[in-house]
Amino acid sequence: MSKEACIIKGTKHGLSILIPSGLTFSEVLAQLRARLASAQEFFSGATVYVSTTDRELKPEEKRQLEQTVEEFGMVIGEKEVAEPPVAVAERKDEPRDEASEDTLLVRRTIRSGQRIWYDGNVVILGDVNPGAEIVCTGDILVLGCLRGVAHAGCNGNVNASVFAFRLEPTQLRIASYISRSPDEKLPKPLGPEVARICDNVIQISAYQSNQS
Amino acid sequence: MGKSIVVTSGKGGVGKTTTAANIGTGLAQIGRRVCLVDADIGLRNLDVVMGLENRIVYDLIDVVEGHCRVRSALIKDKRLDNLFLLPAAQTREKDAVNPEQMKVLMEELKKEFDYVLVDCPAGIEQGFKNAVAGADVAIIVTTPEVSAVRDADRIVGLLEASELYEPHLIINRIRPDMIRKGDMMTTDDIIDILAIKLLGIVPDDESIIISTNRGEPAVLDKKSLSGQAFRNIVRRLEGASVPFLPLEETSMVKRILRLFGRS
Repeated sequence: MSKEACIIKGTKHGLSILIPSGLTFSEVLAQLRARLASAQEFFSGATVYVSTTDRELKPEEKRQLEQTVEEFGMVIGEKEVAEPPVAVAERKDEPRDEASEDTLLVRRTIRSGQRIWYDGNVVILGDVNPGAEIVCTGDILVLGCLRGVAHAGCNGNVNASVFAFRLEPTQLRIASYISRSPDEKLPKPLGPEVARICDNVIQISAYQSNQS
Repeated sequence: MGKSIVVTSGKGGVGKTTTAANIGTGLAQIGRRVCLVDADIGLRNLDVVMGLENRIVYDLIDVVEGHCRVRSALIKDKRLDNLFLLPAAQTREKDAVNPEQMKVLMEELKKEFDYVLVDCPAGIEQGFKNAVAGADVAIIVTTPEVSAVRDADRIVGLLEASELYEPHLIINRIRPDMIRKGDMMTTDDIIDILAIKLLGIVPDDESIIISTNRGEPAVLDKKSLSGQAFRNIVRRLEGASVPFLPLEETSMVKRILRLFGRS
């Protein structure tokens, strides 16, 4: 693929096809045919919404598209859906609204050698054992004992935090900051603690519910 | 150009990792530049035994996949400045690396260090093949048990197949009291079967368990008998001729004397 290709995405309303800039209409049509033909069974019966990045489709082009899509047993949707894929592409640049970030809920103990990566927040209902690794772009909450490695805000979000009922990690990473457990044995933490970046270092403090 | 040594056994749990940690630390103690390489990908332990687990950022797989340079993956020991560890990846499997990549890595490390010690995983599959690739010398660890000796014999054969001849033997967890009663294979029995050069005998020692759990190699403990055994092994590796530890030393009287520091 030398040029940008048509993007076909599933949304909750049906399929959406995004026509990128820099392609002639005949190229678009050919690409679309090839894609649809490769998975005819899969696409058949779906409602399709077409959107473009930078151009308006001429009535003639619209009609041709409609025909193509119908050939593969699909229907063109009436109007633009509330969340067109164009918006998805744009959202990358904007600062993400943390409150709306996705959260992954894990209902088990994460053991040595297991690694969880998630684009969003992670909540673990269990322990994170030494040798296990949790990496995510948002916050990490461990409703148990965190003894492994945790990396919150791995995309560079310095506001990310790591919370655990018992915070005894091998290593803590937030954004590009790293800290490790001390070599000498320290008394075990008694209550829930939270780690976040303060004054360019990772600081751990006892968790107070009114704090955040 | 340094020398690469692989520590292997075939059977699990005979003390490969402990042996690698102690020999590596012992060599560093007498001033050699040493790099310990954990080749047990997916079941790494060497970092724990060395007490360096919390310093790991990059690992061996990151190096062979080109995510970072060898230098940034090497962890400096907290006690000795000339001792380094290249940890294994824990979240990957043995097939994440191949023998060719290991050979390249070994060549690179040998330029920087006097000794490169590779801790081999148990078994004779991919992990073993990776660990053995690029090694100049092999040390086989066994315990005085029929099964461990059988596996060690298999390893000698496999090492010969990969053109690693004349491996050294370390017999670990010898219990002189049991040998005297005739309940345990003697060193002679074992050498009789394996017919390879004996590098050292390490007595069964509680202090090894304590030191392993603490992440402090026993070789650093002047009072530990097994530490003494490892110091002797280090000297033999360096070419010195050192007599083997007398096994009678653990008689009751001597034990009590040793308690009072009069060995």
